Amino acid sequence: MSEIFSVFVLGFCFCFYVSVNTWHAYRIIQINERLQKPMTFKITWKDGLVITPWERPIGPTHGPSDPSSPSGSPVKDALDLAQDVPHSPLDQFAIKSFLDMRVGYLYISFTNPAFFMLLTLGLVFLLFHLVTKKGGGKSVPNAWQSLVELIYDFVPNLVNEQIGGLSGNVKQKFFPCISVTFTFSLFCNLQGMIPYSFTVTSHFLITLGLSFSIFIGITLVGFQRNGLHFLSFSLPAGVPLPLAPFLVLLELIPHSFRALSSGIRLFANMMAGHSSVKILSGSAWTMLCMNDLFYFIGDLGPLCLVLALTGLELGVAISQAHVSTISICIYLNDATNLHQTFFFVIFL
Amino acid sequence: MLEGAKSMGAGAATIASAGAAVGIGNVFSSLIHSVARNPSLAKQLFGYAILGFALTEAIALFALMMVFLILFVF
Repeated sequence: MSEIFSVFVLGFCFCFYVSVNTWHAYRIIQINERLQKPMTFKITWKDGLVITPWERPIGPTHGPSDPSSPSGSPVKDALDLAQDVPHSPLDQFAIKSFLDMRVGYLYISFTNPAFFMLLTLGLVFLLFHLVTKKGGGKSVPNAWQSLVELIYDFVPNLVNEQIGGLSGNVKQKFFPCISVTFTFSLFCNLQGMIPYSFTVTSHFLITLGLSFSIFIGITLVGFQRNGLHFLSFSLPAGVPLPLAPFLVLLELIPHSFRALSSGIRLFANMMAGHSSVKILSGSAWTMLCMNDLFYFIGDLGPLCLVLALTGLELGVAISQAHVSTISICIYLNDATNLHQTFFFVIFL
Repeated sequence: MLEGAKSMGAGAATIASAGAAVGIGNVFSSLIHSVARNPSLAKQLFGYAILGFALTEAIALFALMMVFLILFVF
């Protein structure tokens, strides 16, 4: 049962990997073609000020000046130097390809996210190997072993949350896939916290690919376990018959929304968090670079805010991996035990 | 003019965080109430509270994501 699950998850992940690369390669070609034409995205205001769309003049406006001859004011210098290169806080999410490979219409090039996903895999394997070599660790664990045991132990307890009709053996068949999902999203999120690194899960195609594949896998498992009775999932007990068709249709919408919401939750948390840190730290850096004592001392505010936000980001990285794994277990529970609750409840 | 419209749209989209703020306050208020009733379950209830917080925070971040989309993509 969990073999079908794993095969379909892998298959759809591969399909989404290919489609991510195809779409991004298409965008790279578009951008390259746009770069061949002369750059005409500067806006010319009435008083002669020429700026690029991403700049907002924060000082007295001035006419187009020569960047090589700096005026006295740091504000004007900053605006001058920024004239020709447009920067955006979303530049950190750009996908660059290291190795262009193409099979007909499909682009399977080795890109940024692919490299960082392999790095994540490597880090996980390295951690688990270093802790468990020489016979699997000591009885009195050191800190690394405790960490690995924590990550490993989390998933079987979660899988036991699927209470009811399944015996322990059958339930634990889902353990490998859910464990891999949890470890992958945890380590990908944490890896994005390294400065100048790339967050794999901050692209919605990747997280939506993962959540869609898992949702399709869960639906397949539901059909396999319950047959066509699985469709009774959308109809609660004791509903008058004329109301039934509407209720089924209405129930189908939140059910299918679950696939979308899992992926978008992870993506939105990661993207919004990293964008906020980028915007705040950009302002903190600018304040640091202005040759002014007032700004230098006042920079303590944004710097403390960046520190707090980075701490929050670390918490969000771990908790979002936790939340997405718990929601997958809940959906699995709903699919295998159709809305049935049982009277004995096992506390975690 | 597009710049101004983008800024206005971004500002308007941030209002959605108000709902998320009320929701998060609700979650932790329930945590305080329930720990006051049954302090021996404090650890487990805190775990549930963090789960509820993360799910509610996600809605605030949907709104923040729309803000960034409006500001930098459209």
